[in-house]
Amino acid sequence: MSSKTTTKTTYHIPVGPIHPALKEPVFFEFEIDGERIVDVDVKLGHVHRGIEWASRKRNPIQILYLAERVCGICSYCHPAAFTLGIEDAANIEVPERAEYLRVIQGELERITSHMLWAGVAAHEIGFDTVLFLTWEMREKIMDLTEFLCGNRVTKGIMTIGGIRRDITKDMIPQITKSLDYLKDNFEKIRHIFLDDKTVKLRSQGVGILTKDEALKLCAVGPTTRASAIKKDVRVDTSYFAYGDLDIDYITPDVLTGEVNGDVYDRIIQRLLEIKQSIELIEQCLDIMPNGDIISEPKIPKLLNQLKKVEGEGVGRHEAPRGEVIHYVKLTGEDAPYTWKVRAPTYNNILPWIPMLKGEQIADIPIVAASTDPCMSCTNRVGIIKDGNKYELKKEEIHRLSVEKTRRLMS
Amino acid sequence: MSENKTLEELTKYFKDEFKTKIKSIDIKKRATGSKKKETSTIWMKIDKGVFKDAIKHLVDYQYPHLAVVSGNDLGENIELIYHFTVNYGERLREINLHISVELPKSKPEIESICDLIPGALITEREKQEFLGVKIKGIPDNRKLFLPDDWPDEVYPWRRDETGPEKYYKNLHEVNK
Amino acid sequence: MAKGLPKSFKKALWVYHCNSGSCNGCDIEIIAALCPRYDVERFGIKLVGSPRHADALLVTGPVTRQLADKIKRIYEQMPDPKAVICIGNCGNTGDVFYESYNLIGPVNKILPVDVHVIGCPPRPEAIINAVAQAWVKLETLEA
Repeated sequence: MSSKTTTKTTYHIPVGPIHPALKEPVFFEFEIDGERIVDVDVKLGHVHRGIEWASRKRNPIQILYLAERVCGICSYCHPAAFTLGIEDAANIEVPERAEYLRVIQGELERITSHMLWAGVAAHEIGFDTVLFLTWEMREKIMDLTEFLCGNRVTKGIMTIGGIRRDITKDMIPQITKSLDYLKDNFEKIRHIFLDDKTVKLRSQGVGILTKDEALKLCAVGPTTRASAIKKDVRVDTSYFAYGDLDIDYITPDVLTGEVNGDVYDRIIQRLLEIKQSIELIEQCLDIMPNGDIISEPKIPKLLNQLKKVEGEGVGRHEAPRGEVIHYVKLTGEDAPYTWKVRAPTYNNILPWIPMLKGEQIADIPIVAASTDPCMSCTNRVGIIKDGNKYELKKEEIHRLSVEKTRRLMS
Repeated sequence: MSENKTLEELTKYFKDEFKTKIKSIDIKKRATGSKKKETSTIWMKIDKGVFKDAIKHLVDYQYPHLAVVSGNDLGENIELIYHFTVNYGERLREINLHISVELPKSKPEIESICDLIPGALITEREKQEFLGVKIKGIPDNRKLFLPDDWPDEVYPWRRDETGPEKYYKNLHEVNK
Repeated sequence: MAKGLPKSFKKALWVYHCNSGSCNGCDIEIIAALCPRYDVERFGIKLVGSPRHADALLVTGPVTRQLADKIKRIYEQMPDPKAVICIGNCGNTGDVFYESYNLIGPVNKILPVDVHVIGCPPRPEAIINAVAQAWVKLETLEA
């Protein structure tokens, strides 16, 4: 039997996970009693690249390319929010056709992001086949993105005053074909995720975030809507062309009639949002007006126009993970005076603490992944067992999660 | 929870309570799309002494959504802007509310609002390490994004001598 | 596949992925290379969970101050013969973050890099090509 000394090593392995949520490294520290988690501590900062400081030497068009590389998965929402901030500060009028095109691109990105998340969540539960299935469907949407924008990931399609590429009449059959493919296969995904007994056993009643906690901790995105708080920037405010479209809040009781705030509700929430995005794209294609797609096509003229502006602006956009907000202050020079970026995951970090307390170790991957974090867990888990402290690595936690599924299935 | 106030009622709600302590209120409206639906924004500058009371007044009306706190280095002062939104939950009714406070650089202190809005913890920690603002009463005082061995008096967002100029790196350089 | 690769592969290449502060674009393209569309597993290339089982190391991202020594430790944990592949522009030159105060330097200041893949992010086909070239190097080293 081991003695009562606590030995905690400080050996770090940065990210090392084999699972596909390969995002920024994050350091978790859990205090565990037996199998239950007692306390959680999160340490951030491993991906701090000094982006806001780098913007002090760049003009707004260069900052668009910097903003795209804040996150590779949501690489449309940061330029979108920045553009909204600049247009707010400088009072730039955007043509109507460009607003509709921006909505279409944003919803396409939402579909790819939610399909990516669906694969990751399945992998955390232990169903690798579902990972391959959803990512294969996602590849069809990436083909559509490449057809419309020229690249799969960093698209570079947003610009100040409009959008850079148009959707002409001969592109529409291809879009309709891809959306029909998604609609045909949506029932298959829904059946896999929502009707499967093992998924229900692993996810119902786990990782609960109550309505009160979600409100007090200012959570954003699908995480908070799955706890029955109605916050959605597309429905609350009018930006891009969302003011014209027929859109409503989506909460899990649309499908099941009640809201528990657990992992199962978040799965329902994201699947329903995929369906909503397909409908929004179809609405836009129907009612899009003709016209220009950019208010000032010559970039030097645009930059000169921005140089004369003095003012502040705030841009908010509903990214797949939640609300993105950018604050810009222009003072009549080349580069903006201040640029503040706030990605949605930073508001969703504090809700991890009430969600994880009282859960088992094997549930950590699925609960953490259910909020769709744009960072991954560099874990080292500290266990208090008979007075000793051990370290667990990320692979072991993933292995525990898969083993729990096998136990439940047999 | 009280009925959702309109834009004019909300401005009056703050003006009645704080009268001269509010330095300025600007209202901005922006219309987008084919049907030109509008979204309104209130930019409010208030005095540092009534800051906590103003936040309490806001929480009494409706629990707001705190998006983020941003900061500006204005030479002599540091300006903190708290970005709130209220009236969420109904289609096209939300109002953006930006409350800004100025702190002198000789004494950059402000009270924490974590007891009223627990979700403000992360953004307040960020302001402490990037701008050098002391937030009194914050539950957790550690660094958030910068590494642990970062020197104490260097604040990356400031534009004066405490900025990070010494830490520039040029990764493109080729040493011949 | 790359030229010079013998017809019967002597071993399957196991790969370990390490993120040193990247924006995740390159990481998602690496995982997309595993999925049925590009399907790297038919060549025997597998993503493993521990550096002690790996033959090649895939590094993405500009190296931030917090993670510089961790990457070195991972490299030292890998058994010989090994290859290092640096994916994406961030590790090669810093990309758009080249002046930042929190970055240590391109990856080849910290580790000896064998194959550089450029692109922001590089396509999955380019990543597979890079792993195949590292494979050739390892095979010639052993022979």
